[in-house]
Amino acid sequence: MSSNLAFATPLRSPRDEQPTRHIEIVSNREQRKSRPRIVYALVTVGGLFALFIAQLLLSIVVSQGAYSIASLQTQQRDLGRQEQALSEQLDLLASPQNLATQAESLGMVLSNTSPVYLRLADGVIVGSASPAGAGETVVAAAGSLVPNSLLGGIPLVTPTVPEATVTEVAGAPETPTAPGSVASNPLALPSPVTR
Amino acid sequence: MNDARRNKRRVGIAVLVIFAVVAVFVVRLVDIQVVRAAELNTESLSKRSVSQTTYGARGNIVDTNGNVLADSVDRFDITASPLLVDEFERLQKDGKSKVTVTVSDAIAELATATGASVAEITKALTENPKSNFAYVAKSVTLEQLGDVRALKIPWTYDVLHPSRTYPNGAVAGNLVGFIGADGPQNGLERTQNHCVGNVNGSATYERGADGIRIPGSTVTAKEAKDGGTLKLTIDSDLQWYAQQSLAQRAIELGADWGTITVVRVRDGHLMAVADYPSVDPNNVEGVTRYDWGSRAFSSPFEPGSTMKSLTVASLLDAGVIEPLTQVTAPGRRDLGDGQSIKDAWAHADIPYTATGVLTNSSNTGISYLVDKLSDKEKRRDYMLRFGLNEKTAVDFQGESRGDIPATQNWDAVTNYAVQFGQGMTTTSVQMASAYQALGNGGVHVPLTLVEGCEWADGTVTGTPSTESTQVVSASAAAQTVAMMENVVSQGGLSQELSIPGYRVAAKTGTAEVANGNGYGSDRIVSIAGLVPAEAPEYAIVVTFAKPDTMKTSSAVSTTFKKITTQVIKSFRIEPSDEPSPQMPLTW
Repeated sequence: MSSNLAFATPLRSPRDEQPTRHIEIVSNREQRKSRPRIVYALVTVGGLFALFIAQLLLSIVVSQGAYSIASLQTQQRDLGRQEQALSEQLDLLASPQNLATQAESLGMVLSNTSPVYLRLADGVIVGSASPAGAGETVVAAAGSLVPNSLLGGIPLVTPTVPEATVTEVAGAPETPTAPGSVASNPLALPSPVTR
Repeated sequence: MNDARRNKRRVGIAVLVIFAVVAVFVVRLVDIQVVRAAELNTESLSKRSVSQTTYGARGNIVDTNGNVLADSVDRFDITASPLLVDEFERLQKDGKSKVTVTVSDAIAELATATGASVAEITKALTENPKSNFAYVAKSVTLEQLGDVRALKIPWTYDVLHPSRTYPNGAVAGNLVGFIGADGPQNGLERTQNHCVGNVNGSATYERGADGIRIPGSTVTAKEAKDGGTLKLTIDSDLQWYAQQSLAQRAIELGADWGTITVVRVRDGHLMAVADYPSVDPNNVEGVTRYDWGSRAFSSPFEPGSTMKSLTVASLLDAGVIEPLTQVTAPGRRDLGDGQSIKDAWAHADIPYTATGVLTNSSNTGISYLVDKLSDKEKRRDYMLRFGLNEKTAVDFQGESRGDIPATQNWDAVTNYAVQFGQGMTTTSVQMASAYQALGNGGVHVPLTLVEGCEWADGTVTGTPSTESTQVVSASAAAQTVAMMENVVSQGGLSQELSIPGYRVAAKTGTAEVANGNGYGSDRIVSIAGLVPAEAPEYAIVVTFAKPDTMKTSSAVSTTFKKITTQVIKSFRIEPSDEPSPQMPLTW
């Protein structure tokens, strides 16, 4: 054993003494003690790393989500606006002034001398049916007197007399026509199956 | 030794410098982190954070079938920064070549896209060239916005500008009202603002350099709240037809104004309240401000003979007359003191039944019937129970209560005149409401214009009161309606009022209009009626004020017949099995 005190104490850790004990059998126990400590440390540090990485990934995913949220919200807003603009246009087209003007420009009349209506439940015509005079118009005679300044730009529908369709039907009578389809033949109204 | 000293000095200087630098940093750090911390934090937050107005949508106003009468829509203001206005390069469609667009070209393109004139846009952009903000166009549609964005002009921007549109124009414009720049201005838009009114909210969020919201940073300071949907009892198709035929006839007659009121008898729902002239809420300036409201509610007038039905019903209820009670009606009845009442046409004594009095609208005849119930207070009380002299339950903006003078102010003439609709005033809707009671077995139900206010969660508030009062007995009401049928089946306007296949009960009225000095030549003509007479479903009142070309109630008959026909068709009223019973008019 050295007696030089000035040399040893501050730097010497208990470990410095171990090599002397190393030869002894007891060291096994020390190893047993110290090995788990490293494992703990590794686990802790590793866990922290895992946490950091997980958090990093998570925030990447979250901010990625932010981008898709932003784009979806924009899309939702645009579609909502589009839907609103279309229904606004539909409401305008469905306004009674427009419907009446369009209907009368197509030659329809509104009989206001004798009330007759079709009862949808059984297809019965209620009231005494008499042909309406050609002059029995509401809007055409006096003009539309219920103003709607939004209607200015809506063009009148023109009654298209589709001669082509007529000849086509006449020329090909064997063509099976779908019953009740107005779309396929604008001239033929569907005949309702009355029960 | 010298070296060591120099070294020491060097180290000393170095340490001093280090300390000095550290001290500078520390001072700066303390300054930033402690002294100016709050200020800097706010500044940094304001750079990252964006405050945003979240818009609540104003509720729609719909008719009884859900047709939209007032609609909230998105409009956009196109703005620009005059400071940045300059020519720019636009990428062509091929994605490579670029063209230079000059300022004047850009303005021309903007004008085409927004519908504003080139001069307006040029003025807006050049008026104050140092400014960072100017309106290019206000309230453009989504379609126009798309056009503007497609121009890719770097110095234009757009802002949402929630707006209001009335797709049916003037249909029910008299009732719906309108919105001005400062909010709801008139009609139901104003009085029902507690239903349709929205609350705008605000939210703050932080955004990154690319403008994307930083997740989790949204702070909602105030929740936006949508308005509820206001559902009216009005049927917009019938309302349109009423307004159209009313306007047509009013123009023919040169009438100052006119109204049509249709009330569903069983629940007092107003199916149509047409006014002429009336406002198109999309274009408020199209009419004078006196035509912005509804005269059916706001203009009281002396109703004239339509009042006789109510008088007859009251007398029947009091048990003092029967439908065939006999009176002798002279052409003129002298009331002493030089006062008299007379019929509208000169005639000798006619032996009328009560039905005959009503059918021929004899003032002298009704005065003798009234004599059978001398208690003025009791007669006035009947009028009040019919809902006169007070606002209807609708309580419309600017509604008038009409006026039934107190009985102590009834002189000898007024005593009778109030019973045939002079010397007292009612509004069109009050009259319709009173006829509702006649058609409903004498049960008066509160007049209703608003079915309720439906909120986003499905709850409905503001549903109308259904508290009803028995005004006259069911038999008195039924007898009155049966007597009124004779006006249509054998009165002077029989030809003009009869509707084939249907029984209609009606009463005409031609009232003199008081000007400053008594009654002048102006008339207010009206017809009030019920259809179908055997089991009334709808009460209809048509009124024209001060017509020029025709001053009798026959001026109204074509319009009354048209609207009644339309009511029959719209609401699918079944034809009557039997013709109207004809009662003897004379004895």
